[in-house]
Amino acid sequence: MIAVIIIIIMAVLLLAAAIYSVIHRDLLFAVLGTGIVSLILSLFFYLLQAPDVALTEAAIGIALTTIIFIITIRNTTRDEDEIIDKENEKL
Amino acid sequence: MNIIYIIVFSLMAIGSVLTFIRFVKGPRSADRAVALDTLSIILTSAMVLLALIFDRYIYIDVALIYAVLGFVGIIVIARFIEKAL
Repeated sequence: MIAVIIIIIMAVLLLAAAIYSVIHRDLLFAVLGTGIVSLILSLFFYLLQAPDVALTEAAIGIALTTIIFIITIRNTTRDEDEIIDKENEKL
Repeated sequence: MNIIYIIVFSLMAIGSVLTFIRFVKGPRSADRAVALDTLSIILTSAMVLLALIFDRYIYIDVALIYAVLGFVGIIVIARFIEKAL
């Protein structure tokens, strides 16, 4: 019973982090939200008795995706509203 | 399930929820980065404890990989926040 409650709490956290990552306007915080989604998803793969999938998800999710997105944000801009304003100025 | 495991996992769930609240509310970048790191450490220790419960030592490898690579990711985020990447 308590295990089911804890799994439901983790699933709600996964959903909340995904929604936060989608709707937030600051791209750095969206990348951090993606890190939390990957973290909890790795725990779910682990609980479903698939440690190899969890291993791959952990390696790609927290390290590769985060680092590539951070480098991309450094080379472009961080605020999403700024990008939209520039697009509107072009039009 | 043993009573001590129930207590430990309940505390981990409460800690995860409080850390996530700090992640959502946190006004600055450093608060959110530290919240992500704290959640990573809590779930890594949960994975180690689950390996003990399931009695399969291959499961510890997942926690090991996560601890090493999570450190690298947090270092990259911290270097970006201090504008030194």
